Amino acid sequence: MPDIRQSPSNLFTGDGRTHVGSGLMRESLVSTRLLRETDNDVVRAMVPGITMVAIGGSSIMDRGAEALVPLTREIAALHGEGHKFVLGVGGGARARHTLEIGLDLGLPIGGLARIVGGIEEQNRDMLQFLLAPHGAVTLIKEHFQDLQLFISKGMIPVCIGQPPYHFWEPPAREGLLPENGSDVGLFLMAEILGSPQLVFVKDVDGIFEADPFENPDAKRIDEITAAELLERNLPELPIEREVLRCLENSKLVRSFRLIDGRRPENLRAYLAGEPVGTLVTQSARNNGKTTS
Amino acid sequence: MTTKRNGKIWIEGMENALSGKLSSLDATNSGGTPTPIAPILPDIWVLKIGGQSIMDRGRKAVYPILEELVAARKQGVSFLLGTGGGTRARHAYSVALDLDLPTAMLAKVGASVPVQNARMLQMLLAKDGGIMVYPDDFEKLPLFLSMGVIPIMSGMPPFEFWEKAPAVGRIPANRTDAGVYLIAEFLGAKGVLFIKDEDGLYTDDPKKDPTARHIPEITARELLDSGQDDIVVERAVLEYLDRARSVTEIRIVNGLVPGQVTKALRGENVGSVIRKEPATDRIPVAAP
Repeated sequence: MPDIRQSPSNLFTGDGRTHVGSGLMRESLVSTRLLRETDNDVVRAMVPGITMVAIGGSSIMDRGAEALVPLTREIAALHGEGHKFVLGVGGGARARHTLEIGLDLGLPIGGLARIVGGIEEQNRDMLQFLLAPHGAVTLIKEHFQDLQLFISKGMIPVCIGQPPYHFWEPPAREGLLPENGSDVGLFLMAEILGSPQLVFVKDVDGIFEADPFENPDAKRIDEITAAELLERNLPELPIEREVLRCLENSKLVRSFRLIDGRRPENLRAYLAGEPVGTLVTQSARNNGKTTS
Repeated sequence: MTTKRNGKIWIEGMENALSGKLSSLDATNSGGTPTPIAPILPDIWVLKIGGQSIMDRGRKAVYPILEELVAARKQGVSFLLGTGGGTRARHAYSVALDLDLPTAMLAKVGASVPVQNARMLQMLLAKDGGIMVYPDDFEKLPLFLSMGVIPIMSGMPPFEFWEKAPAVGRIPANRTDAGVYLIAEFLGAKGVLFIKDEDGLYTDDPKKDPTARHIPEITARELLDSGQDDIVVERAVLEYLDRARSVTEIRIVNGLVPGQVTKALRGENVGSVIRKEPATDRIPVAAP
């Protein structure tokens, strides 16, 4: 057997280890100095040209037919006009109930993250059923790399939002609940797909300075950066805070809109580039470069 | 058939779920005693065999460690064994970076190498009860452990395409150290041991800086705040450790020194230990 260590290949020895030659050889990958060298403003998109539509669990799904029938009708019409969608859903009331019971039982955060997605699967399946006559199919993690097949066949993939962190859900900055819910998962999917179009469809006409259900005079924020929104630390946000942190570091998704899906024409307006709901953008300081 | 409240379908018993308030959480945040976290598998250790530090050294480094581990298992020490990636993962990252691929794609391709390493260890440990466990097998761990086997897993967390872009650079922040730590934290494990090729933590990478000093003990917060550039474990582990609920310390030992792994499993003070900042008994307020 030839000794590979003697061969003129790309293998390096001499410190007891056998290395494959690369720019990262012998590195711990922890050094911030080194990590900074791996930065690049330009990264490639996997499935460009998609609009990721994140449909709220509590805000839309739990409203039943009243909200879903008109919304899915609009989605089907827009799909028929040539728009390419990936739909994602959140959990809603049953997901909150799951967390409520799970917390009372003392489940660790990874345990909560493991079970909460089950509710989103129910919502995904109902949404897929509603849109099946228009080409909706379920998209699961294992078929993520088959997405192009679905899209090229004119289908509407429907998936859950919860990212598959499962038992590995990191301890939260604050509190006992997972930071990474369906909003985060769908944001991250939009980021890997490289879809600059990401819209959160909820039951409020954007992000307000106070909860608009409790305070009808609350003022809507038309446009804001993720960093500003984090800094304002509003007590009620219609979106997971972690999405804002993700947006500040992302490379492909540079903004998203949050619109009221109870008026489905908002989705059409969004796709036409009209300023509906609230636009949340990456900070200017982050645009085109990352922070340390 | 369908009752609604505030436009949302409602059934009795879901009041809290609808209002968006979680009463368990409210009780916790209003100064009540937080619900204790239920330990999942409190009697097992979670160990990690380093990729670059151990696996890439081959037989000379790997065999003696496995002998110690098998001996410990025979004496009744129960553990889950994770693996790192090492130089091939670094090469894959280099190729992916050169292709301008995003972080999540690096996490996806980086995940294959620790699986190779786990499979290598499984083959070597098969005769002593080594079995592979994948994320979907974790709910069967009690069965495996009761049969006295050595479950072996990839250290990589299953984030893959859902790995977030880090604040700096494009290398995934959650790699095999983070994966091993997070599963230990979930299990409420007895301890976490990172088996590497240095006597633990130093003030710098001792392979590059011979003047680096050994740090036997430090808190995660101190280490994060120190500004130290190169650290023996992934920074994400320190951040998670700082927020931990169950596993509040990790130990890093030198697998090249015979007996260190065994000593650590006996609770002896070898290598370096990194701890969560001593509890201030502050009950964190949950973000809504």
